Amino acid sequence: MEIKHSLNGEATHRILKRPRVTPRFLSESEIREEFSHHQSGVARINNGSYGSCPGSVLADQRRWQLRFLQQPDDFCFNTLRKGILASRTLIKDLINADHVDEVSLVDNATTAAAIVLQQIGRGFAEGKFQKDDTVLMLHCAFQAVKQSIQAYVTRAGGSAVEVRLPFPVKSEEEIIMEFRKAIEKVKSDGRRIRLAIIDHITSMPSVVIPVRKLVGICREEGVEQVFVDAAHAIGSVKVDVKEIGADFYVSNLHKWFFCPPSVAFLYCKNTNSSSDLHHPVVTHEYGNGLPIESSWIGTRDYSSQLVVPSVLEFVNRFEGGMEGIMKSNHEEVVKMGKMLAEAWGTNLGSPPEMCAGMIMVGLPSRLCITSEEDTVRLRSHLRDCYGVEVPIYYQGVKDGEMGVRDKNGLITGYARISHQVYNKLEDYEKFRDAINQLVEDGKVCKMLLTQ
Amino acid sequence: MASSLDSQPTANGTFAADPASHIAKKPKILSTITPAEILSEFSHHDPSVTRINNGSFGSCPASVLSAQKQIQLQFLCQPDDFYVNHLQPGILRSRTLIKQFINADHVDEVSIVDNATTAASIFLQQIAWGFAEGRFQKGDAAVMLHYAYGSVKKSMEAHITRAGGHVIEVPLPFPVTSPDEIVQEFRRTLQRGKTGGRRIRFAVIDHVSSMPSVVIPVKELVQICREEGVDQVFVDAAHGIGCVDVDVKEIGADFYTSNLYKWFFCPPSVAFLYCKRSVESSCNLHHPVVSHVYGNGLAIESAWIGNRDYSPQLVVPKAVEFINRFEGGIEGIKKRNHQGVVEMGEMLAKAWGTHLGCPPQMCSSMIMVGLPACLGIWSSEDCLKLRTHLRDKFAVEVPIYYRAPKDGEVGPVTGYARISYQVYNKPEDYFKFRDIINKLVFEGFTCESLSNEKA
Repeated sequence: MEIKHSLNGEATHRILKRPRVTPRFLSESEIREEFSHHQSGVARINNGSYGSCPGSVLADQRRWQLRFLQQPDDFCFNTLRKGILASRTLIKDLINADHVDEVSLVDNATTAAAIVLQQIGRGFAEGKFQKDDTVLMLHCAFQAVKQSIQAYVTRAGGSAVEVRLPFPVKSEEEIIMEFRKAIEKVKSDGRRIRLAIIDHITSMPSVVIPVRKLVGICREEGVEQVFVDAAHAIGSVKVDVKEIGADFYVSNLHKWFFCPPSVAFLYCKNTNSSSDLHHPVVTHEYGNGLPIESSWIGTRDYSSQLVVPSVLEFVNRFEGGMEGIMKSNHEEVVKMGKMLAEAWGTNLGSPPEMCAGMIMVGLPSRLCITSEEDTVRLRSHLRDCYGVEVPIYYQGVKDGEMGVRDKNGLITGYARISHQVYNKLEDYEKFRDAINQLVEDGKVCKMLLTQ
Repeated sequence: MASSLDSQPTANGTFAADPASHIAKKPKILSTITPAEILSEFSHHDPSVTRINNGSFGSCPASVLSAQKQIQLQFLCQPDDFYVNHLQPGILRSRTLIKQFINADHVDEVSIVDNATTAASIFLQQIAWGFAEGRFQKGDAAVMLHYAYGSVKKSMEAHITRAGGHVIEVPLPFPVTSPDEIVQEFRRTLQRGKTGGRRIRFAVIDHVSSMPSVVIPVKELVQICREEGVDQVFVDAAHGIGCVDVDVKEIGADFYTSNLYKWFFCPPSVAFLYCKRSVESSCNLHHPVVSHVYGNGLAIESAWIGNRDYSPQLVVPKAVEFINRFEGGIEGIKKRNHQGVVEMGEMLAKAWGTHLGCPPQMCSSMIMVGLPACLGIWSSEDCLKLRTHLRDKFAVEVPIYYRAPKDGEVGPVTGYARISYQVYNKPEDYFKFRDIINKLVFEGFTCESLSNEKA
C-alpha cells in the first residue's frame, strides 16, 4: 500500500491524491455478499451494540495481519507506524480537526473514558482539584463511563452529579433546560465543575443530544473541560469537532464506520492540559504525546487501526458516500420505527430529528415490562425463539408522572431498532410479527422461557 | 461453564460447535508431529528470512491461527449471541488451562490481559493508589533490575516516581558467570536501599531478562525479598511460559506475568497475570480500562474491557493441543529449544572467536553470543543500525545488544546477538548467520560505515 508524504511530512493515502475512475455503485446482491458472514435467518436490527464490518474490509485486515505474521520485526519497525498515521490523517480530515496530533487511536470509547478520567483522577491526587470538585454526566451515560467515574474520580475524593433527561423526549429544548438547571444547581452548591461528560448519541435510551448547544452552556457556566462520548457518532451523524467545540471527543469506528473490532478515535483539542493525557498502558513511548503512546502499547494486533483507507473505499461505493449512507439509514429507521409503532399502537421515544441510525419504539403495554430483568428476558426470548436481535430498554414511570399509554396501559418498554446498509424490510416485519404473536398469545415478560 | 450449543444447529448450518470447547472436552490422541508438518504449520513465515528472534514477537502455528479465524468469524456472524453465550465460558476455559500449567491454586488467581506491559501497568497503578491514599509515604522505595524491560522502566516513572516513590535499580554484571553474582548484587542493593529506615514497598524481578537475556534465579531473589521485608514482589516473566519452568507456588511471588504469544504459540496478543489470593493487595488490582464489571475482581474486569477482539484469549486450548503434538509436550519443546540454542550459540562463539554472555544453565531458549570486536560496535545506535543492516541486506532477523566496555578492557566484545531457538528453526539458520558475520569481518566492515544509512 502506497503512502505518499506531502511536503510538510504528513503521510496521506493515495486515495485522496489520485481519484481513480469510480466503479459503479454496489448492487443489492453485492451488499448482501459483503455481509454474507452475518448469520442468515437472524433479523439483525442491533447495529448499535457491536457494529458491522463488510467482507472487503475484513479481507484488507487479514492482509495486514499476514504481513505481521510473515515478518513481525520488519512490520513493527517499518510498516506499523506509517499505517496508523495514515488512518489518523484520514480521520482528522473526516472530523475537521486542525491537526493530526489531536487524533489518537484507541480500542474503544471505554478506553478513551479511562484516559480522560485518569487525567482528572491525577488532578485530585496531586492537589490540583479539591474534594467535592465535580464531574457532571448524563443520567443515561454508558455504564462503563459511570464506573470509570467511580474508579478514578469518586475514589480520589471527587463528586459525581447526574443530569436526568426526560424520556420519551419531545424536543431539544427539554434537554437543554434540564442540563442548564443541573449545572446551576451544582454551582449554587458552591462546587467547581472540573469535567462535563456529554453523550452525542445516548446508548439506552438512544437519543441524539444537542451536543453543540450543551458544550456552549458549559463554556458559559465555567465548566473547566468537556468530554463528548460519541461512541455511536461517526458514520451515524455529522461530526465536526471544531463546531462542537469540546475538549475531548471520542467515537468508535467499529459501530457505524465499518471497521472491524475494535478501533476508536479520541480527539483532544490542543490545550495545556491535553499534554497530561496518557495511555494507561505505559511503554517506552511514554511522554511522547497520547497519539504516539496509543500507537504502541506492547505487542498486539493493530490491524483494525490500519484498515481505515479500505473503509473509505467501501463507503465511496455507495451513492453519496458516507453522507448518503447516513441519510438513507436515518430515513429507513424512521420509516420502520413509524411502521412498528403504528402496527403495535405505540409511540416513538423521540421525534425523528432527534435520532440518527437508531430509534426507540414503544412496546405494547400488554407485554408487562416492569424491570430491567424483564427486558433481558424479552431480548433473549426474541433471539432464541424468533431469530430477532434487538436491545430492549425499560422506562419506569415515576410517581406523579403521566407516562405514555397505549390502549391497554402504560408503555414501559422500548425497542432500540437500528438500520444499516445490510438491513431489509423483512427484518422489521419479522420483529413486528414476533411482538404481535406474543401479544396475541397473551404472553407477558415474566413467563417468557429462554434457552 | 461449557458451551451448551455443541449439538445445536444454527440457522445457516455453520458453527454448530464452539471450536474452543470441542478441543477441551475431547482430547484427541494424535501422532507426533512430523518435520514436514512443522514446516507447514509455520509456512506463513517469510521463507526468505532467517528468523532467529522468536523472543520479540513470538510465533503462532497455522492451526492455532485457523482456530482464531473461526472464533473471529463466529463473533462477526452474531456478535450479541457470541457475547452472551460464548465469550465468558471461553475465557474461563483458557484461564483454567493456564492455572494448571503454572500450578496456581485457584482459577481466581489467573487473569488474562493483552501482554506483560499491560500487567505491569495494572500492578503499578495499584501501587500509585497506595501513595495517593496515604498507605505509602513519599520516599518509599521500589526496586527493579537494571535489565528491566524499557516499558517497565517507563511505567515505574509514570506511576511510582510521579507519585513520590523512590526507584532503585539493581546493577547486574554482564557477561555473567553464575547465578550467585546476581543474588549477591540483589541482596546488596536491597540492604543499601533500606538504609535510613527506608521502606521497600515492592520489587519487580525479571524471570528471563530481555536485553541482555539471562535467566534470573528468581526463586532465590523472591526469598531474599521476604527476608529483607519487601512488601510485594512482582515477577515480570514476559518470556516465562514455554521458555522456562513456571511454578508460581514454588517461585513464591505475589504477582507473576507471562506472555502466551512469545513461547506458547498463541497469536498476538495474550498474557496471564497471576495474583496470589492470600495477598491483600491482590483485591486492589483493577484493569485500567473500566467497564460495567468494575469491582468484580481483576479476572472478571479483564474479561470485558469494551468491545474488541478477544479471540487470542480464546485459542489457548488450541495452542495446548498443538503443543501436545510434540514429544514430551511443552517440557519436550523447552528442553529441545534449550539444547538447540546452546549448541548453536557455542558453534557461533567458536566460529567467531568470541564467547557466550552467560553459562548454559543461565539461559533458556535464547542465548547471548558475543560478536567479533572488529565490527566496531560502540553504542546502542550502532546495534540498531547493524540489526537493520542484517535485516535489509541479508534477511537475517536478530536483535543486538550493546555492552559498554569497562575501563582498561583491551579489544572488548561490546556487541552480543540474542539468538533464539523455536520449533521451526534449523541449524542452517545459524550457519547462515555465522557466515554473514564472517563475511563482514573478512571485508573489514565496521558499524561506522553505516553511519550515513537510515537506522
